[in-house]
Amino acid sequence: MIDLLRILIAPLVWLAAFSGIYGLHGVGCAYGWSEITVLSLSLFRVALLASWGATVLIQIGLLLALCSDRFGSGSLFVRRVSVTLGWVGLVAAIWTLHPVAILSSCS
Amino acid sequence: MNALRRHRKLTRVWASEPGWRGWFSTVNHTDVGRMFLATSFFFFLVGGVLAMLIRAQLATPDSAFVGPEVYNQLFTMHGTIMMFLFAIPTFEGLAIYLLPKMLGTRDLAFPRLTSYGYWCYFFGGGMMLFSLLFGIAPDGGWFMYPPLTGPLYSPGINTDFWLIGITFVEISAICAAVEFCVSILRYRAPGMSLDKMPIFAWYALVTSLMILTGFPPLILGSVLLEVERAFGLPFFQADLGGDSLLWQHLFWLFGHPEVYIIFLPAAGVISTVLPVMCRTTLLGYGWVVAAAVALAFLSFGLWVHHMFTTGIPHMGLAFFSAASTLVAVPTGVQVFAWIGTMWKGQPQLRLPMLHILGFFVTFVMGGLTGVMVAIVPFDWQAHDTAFVTAHLHYVLFGGFVFPILAGIYYWLPLFTGRKRFFRLGEWAFALIFVGFHGTFLAMHWVGLLGQRRRIETYDADAGWTAINFVSSVSGFIMAIGLAMVLIDVLLHWVVAVRGERNPWHAGSLEWVTMNPPPAYNFASLPHVDKREPLAGDPDLPVRLAKGEGYLGDPFVTWRETLTVEAASGRPDYLVIYPTNTRLPIALAAVTGLFFLSLLIKVYWLTPIAVFGVAALGWWWVWSQGRQSDLGPQDVGRGLSLPPSGETDRSPGWWGTAFLLAANATFFGSLIFGYAFLWTVAPAWPPPEWLEPSLLELGLGVGGVVAGSVGTRVAARGNRTGGAGSSGLLIGLAGTVVAAAALSTLMLRVPAPGGHAYGATLLVLAGYALFHALLTGLMQVFLIARIRRGYTSPRRRAEFPIVGLWADYLTVIVVLSLVVAHLPGMLG
Amino acid sequence: MGATPLALAGCDGPLSTVDPAGPAARTIATLWWVMLVGAVLIFGLVAGLLAAAFRRGRQTRDDRWHERVWIVGLGLGFSMAILAALLASGLMAGERLMPRPAADTVGVRAEARRWSWSFGYDAAPGRVTEDVLHIPAGRPVDVAITSADVVHSFWVPRLAGKLDAIPGHVNVLRIEADHPGTYGGLTAEYNGEGYARHRFVVVAHDAAGWQAFLRGETE
Repeated sequence: MIDLLRILIAPLVWLAAFSGIYGLHGVGCAYGWSEITVLSLSLFRVALLASWGATVLIQIGLLLALCSDRFGSGSLFVRRVSVTLGWVGLVAAIWTLHPVAILSSCS
Repeated sequence: MNALRRHRKLTRVWASEPGWRGWFSTVNHTDVGRMFLATSFFFFLVGGVLAMLIRAQLATPDSAFVGPEVYNQLFTMHGTIMMFLFAIPTFEGLAIYLLPKMLGTRDLAFPRLTSYGYWCYFFGGGMMLFSLLFGIAPDGGWFMYPPLTGPLYSPGINTDFWLIGITFVEISAICAAVEFCVSILRYRAPGMSLDKMPIFAWYALVTSLMILTGFPPLILGSVLLEVERAFGLPFFQADLGGDSLLWQHLFWLFGHPEVYIIFLPAAGVISTVLPVMCRTTLLGYGWVVAAAVALAFLSFGLWVHHMFTTGIPHMGLAFFSAASTLVAVPTGVQVFAWIGTMWKGQPQLRLPMLHILGFFVTFVMGGLTGVMVAIVPFDWQAHDTAFVTAHLHYVLFGGFVFPILAGIYYWLPLFTGRKRFFRLGEWAFALIFVGFHGTFLAMHWVGLLGQRRRIETYDADAGWTAINFVSSVSGFIMAIGLAMVLIDVLLHWVVAVRGERNPWHAGSLEWVTMNPPPAYNFASLPHVDKREPLAGDPDLPVRLAKGEGYLGDPFVTWRETLTVEAASGRPDYLVIYPTNTRLPIALAAVTGLFFLSLLIKVYWLTPIAVFGVAALGWWWVWSQGRQSDLGPQDVGRGLSLPPSGETDRSPGWWGTAFLLAANATFFGSLIFGYAFLWTVAPAWPPPEWLEPSLLELGLGVGGVVAGSVGTRVAARGNRTGGAGSSGLLIGLAGTVVAAAALSTLMLRVPAPGGHAYGATLLVLAGYALFHALLTGLMQVFLIARIRRGYTSPRRRAEFPIVGLWADYLTVIVVLSLVVAHLPGMLG
Repeated sequence: MGATPLALAGCDGPLSTVDPAGPAARTIATLWWVMLVGAVLIFGLVAGLLAAAFRRGRQTRDDRWHERVWIVGLGLGFSMAILAALLASGLMAGERLMPRPAADTVGVRAEARRWSWSFGYDAAPGRVTEDVLHIPAGRPVDVAITSADVVHSFWVPRLAGKLDAIPGHVNVLRIEADHPGTYGGLTAEYNGEGYARHRFVVVAHDAAGWQAFLRGETE
């Protein structure tokens, strides 16, 4: 069962972070957080960037854990599949959430 | 004992009742799988006839063939039938039929549930068919956007047929998904570890997990919309604190994963059939498994790409645009793995291969247009035009119908034990292929020229006439091709030419059984030590038939099989199956009565039906189990295993865990809906919040915690030789207190008919109350079981199951109460 | 006219997205042609690889080589490179089409109901036109779109993409016509029995015509 968790964990964390940041974006726009500025960046943008950074860091951590002897699977097959999906989680986190850094936030 | 006498003995134990009576009482996966497939292809026929009527209407401009009120029913029912009554049930039927045979076991985990799922599908599909025949079919489009489908603009019964009928049918998908998860993870031949699983089982597992998390949002949406229509609680009306966008989110939270729920099983068929057609093995098995899992997860991050034109801020759209492009990567990995497989082997142009080539051409084009509509600005133009109609048919026909036809022709010799005599199939393929592309290729273009989907007529000067005419003619060519496939399959059934066993020289276990397979599949269960057990071992069928595998002893009178530990494939325990029974069809009928009472608004019937479901459910569970210990049993090859009732993690526990995962998604969607309305709906905050009550909060939380703890105490008491009843009584008392607190909450909700806030709160509390009553019923059941001697320190499997429900109740009640009371406390 | 082969291959038509008459529609049409060429090339590649699989007498390679070429090279490398480029251009185009504040922007309001449209004008308060939207040519127009009953969608294919009219919400779409003229508009979200005939017209005026309209001299 733990092996199944190893396979699913990285994309699961991506899905949670993706939904969470989309939700944060919706709430922020609804309550006008993009209007509050600190040091030329809006507070909202800072919050989005910080969540994105945290997501990427978590995904890197997961990938390292899945590769490690301590947390990785003993089965060669499960190890290969789980590490591949660890990469999927990391790439997905960067790829799908990068708009927080480059696009206008609420228009 | 020779193989024939063993076969006779096993058949006596496993056989269904003879003749048509057997259909109503069979719980055998081979029977039910065939029934599913026959019914789903009947609906394919119905949906196809509707498609022909649509094309007849659109063949010429200013057509007067049917008016809008009929046309709107035609396209709504075409989409609905193809999605819910053809595609999903075809997957269920194929997987029900094949999985146990591929996994080297004798049946699925819950045979009665297989049958119950079928009858829910049968009765629910019958409801939909009834509405179509009497001209009162749903007409709001297959994605049913409110407010058009709300009480104001669709007052008739048409929409109710959709909301209630489809929810009824979805029960079968949830049942099948729970069953596949448990079966694939636990019901395999000994030795079959995760890396030796047939690739189709991986796809079926991923698809099932997606059904468990994808369908609940739609079920919730349907419940909310039906409650709004029937009882006037507003969820989707903007002036009463609702928002029609909530439906779109819930629907597409289901709807996009749905596309992959349909595609992934078909990809499983390709991954199984293609290597055999190329006389090789699948290239990159591990990569393909990872790609399927990645696809499943990414597909849950795509739903907003159906809502690019709803005015969501560009950054929000960009997340989903990015995810929609990324999802093409695991799809590309699979497509290139298949082409690589062809390069690795020697592809042969036999009939299944023709359909696979049809799949490649069609699906790749559908994927390319899919990437186009994933690009936000282009979608602003293409959305809701014929371009999208064309795209989705390329994806669904290419990604589902061609692979399924390949699969049908591939497994037909297994289904019937015969070989094809007439060569209609090749001609049929040519007509289908040419007809399909003739229908849909130019439809992309007419969409870009401004033809919207779902219009019933257009002007001659729009410049669309020629393309539509070609589409219609080609559509009929495709229909003739599909009719020829049907005739080919029927002829195959009638003209008996015995075929050889394993005609394609495949390596997977389903070809080890006799063709057609006997009810018990395997006279004894194989020990698996490689991915293709039959490859290079032609004597395996004979050895198993002689009883040289596990469970080869034919003197028992039970239907029995083995389970394995999920990852390693080590044998774990012995399972004794229920036998033929009419309980599933009876329960499905009473479930249908419940839905029917809601549909025709005969509400005095509803509680009677609910009581009937509870009573039959009680009987269902009660009829399993034993009043004395069995102890470990000899299962052959020197191994002895305990029966499933004498373990902590029985199949029932696993099934409950997966069912609760789906249930939690439902609850999570409800919480999402609450938060969504709060932040996005225009008429918020509501005029008044719920008056907070610490007493209610305390009693509710204390009650469920007592319920949870009491059930645990009972389990411990039972294990150490005590009765366990006292713990359960405490638990039951706690559950009753919690139910009382939830009831007062429901009574105190401010103006549920006047604002979406109250309406949502009422549904939330109602959901929690329902679960409290259900858990209470289970605790009463367990007390009765203890009193009647169905439990012992060995026979302990039922305690953890009730424990799971009690724990789930605790989580949802605490969350519901906090969410209900917090706004009033803060505001 | 529509039935001739010439028109079949042609892009023109009163509702054609590939016959753009404004900057937004032109950006999207260009995007479409680029994507079409790319898609045809990729499809040709896949079809070629499929056909080549049936060749006889290929040299045999081991599984590792096949995995590297097919899965890592084509499946991951090739598709991710193409998709990254496409996504970037799509996001840039989308960002460019956003209704940003500009000096000479004209504001109009569109309200949909089953089965008609009413249009109001910020520059001419009280002025309401039914099923005809008047705009000045050559100036960006922000259309504030809403609905009085069910979900509709505002779509003028030759000028810009579509945007939904949702009860309780106001969505703003930027449109612009290059030249004076008449452009067909459609409701593009299914809304019941009158859907097929639920249309409107956009009339783009030259500067003088627009002033005349605002003064109430034209209907």
